[in-house]
Amino acid sequence: MLTKKRKRGCQKGKMHEVSIAHGLLDLAVDNCKKGGYKGIESIKVKIGKASGVMPDSLLFAFETLKIGTIAEKASLTIDEVPVSGFCNACNSYFTVEETYILSCPRCGSSMFKMETGRELNIEEMEVF
Amino acid sequence: MKVKVVTNILEANDRIASENRKIFDDAGVFVINIMSAPGAGKTTLIEKTINELKGKVKIGVIEGDIAGTDDAIRIENTGVPVVQINTGGACHLDANMISEVINDLPLKDLDLVIIENVGNLVCPAEFKVGENMKVMLLSITEGDDKPLKYPLMFQESSALVLNKVDLIEHTNADIGKIKKDSMSLNPNLKIFEVSCKTGEGISEWTGWLQSLVR
Repeated sequence: MLTKKRKRGCQKGKMHEVSIAHGLLDLAVDNCKKGGYKGIESIKVKIGKASGVMPDSLLFAFETLKIGTIAEKASLTIDEVPVSGFCNACNSYFTVEETYILSCPRCGSSMFKMETGRELNIEEMEVF
Repeated sequence: MKVKVVTNILEANDRIASENRKIFDDAGVFVINIMSAPGAGKTTLIEKTINELKGKVKIGVIEGDIAGTDDAIRIENTGVPVVQINTGGACHLDANMISEVINDLPLKDLDLVIIENVGNLVCPAEFKVGENMKVMLLSITEGDDKPLKYPLMFQESSALVLNKVDLIEHTNADIGKIKKDSMSLNPNLKIFEVSCKTGEGISEWTGWLQSLVR
């Protein structure tokens, strides 16, 4: 039986939002370098309320991890996207407060499709 | 200057997951990723599955735990190939972790790989690792409010195995509510009621699994 052990103290993935922040930083830095830019001033992300990611924790993780990278001085703006859907029974769009949809709030039908709420995207960056 | 990016943050993980999936597909292996809270019975369900499908489906297992090899040792004792991943603190398996061990299983000799994820009702649901499907295990002793408290797990899974049904008289859990709420979150969810202790329902679960593997 083989055992694969990840190194102790490996921060990547230690806290859930840390691994997401790592992915976010890697993507931002990669895009910045590929575009021939020197550094990042700001990053705007969209986080859906049903994505499972907590904005405060993500911000905290980002602020810690950005040190020593070309995103060191970058601010992170988080646009939180509500959970919304479209009901095929009553043909209407709707938004809910919860992180999930059980039924259409207008007609109670279960014939709906989730439209927004699962986003976990970088939208744009300001670079120099 | 402003640069428009619009990229999914989990793109790197998803890319590695697709690469894993190709390796599994090329070897003709079906892969399930089992998730649950700690103590719901993932390892026991895997043991029961291996025993029930002995001689019918060739199984390999990837065990995921923060630390320790207890689960892998249990699986090793069933005689199937097994690899243990110790995440060292990460609360879920990701595609990169699977890619590091994928070639340590004799994939060409296997029909089915079962990945046992880290015990956690939150994070595993968010990460593709290269599986064909996610399976959620919920023991009825955890309570019947779990679907609405942890919706993503139920939405991301193709099947829900309700374990420890032999203990129903000792709890206030309403299995009907669990099923109703789960199906509302995910109308395509296949639900199995089992007891790994008594063996109730296990053959229905393994019969379905076998039909997917063929």
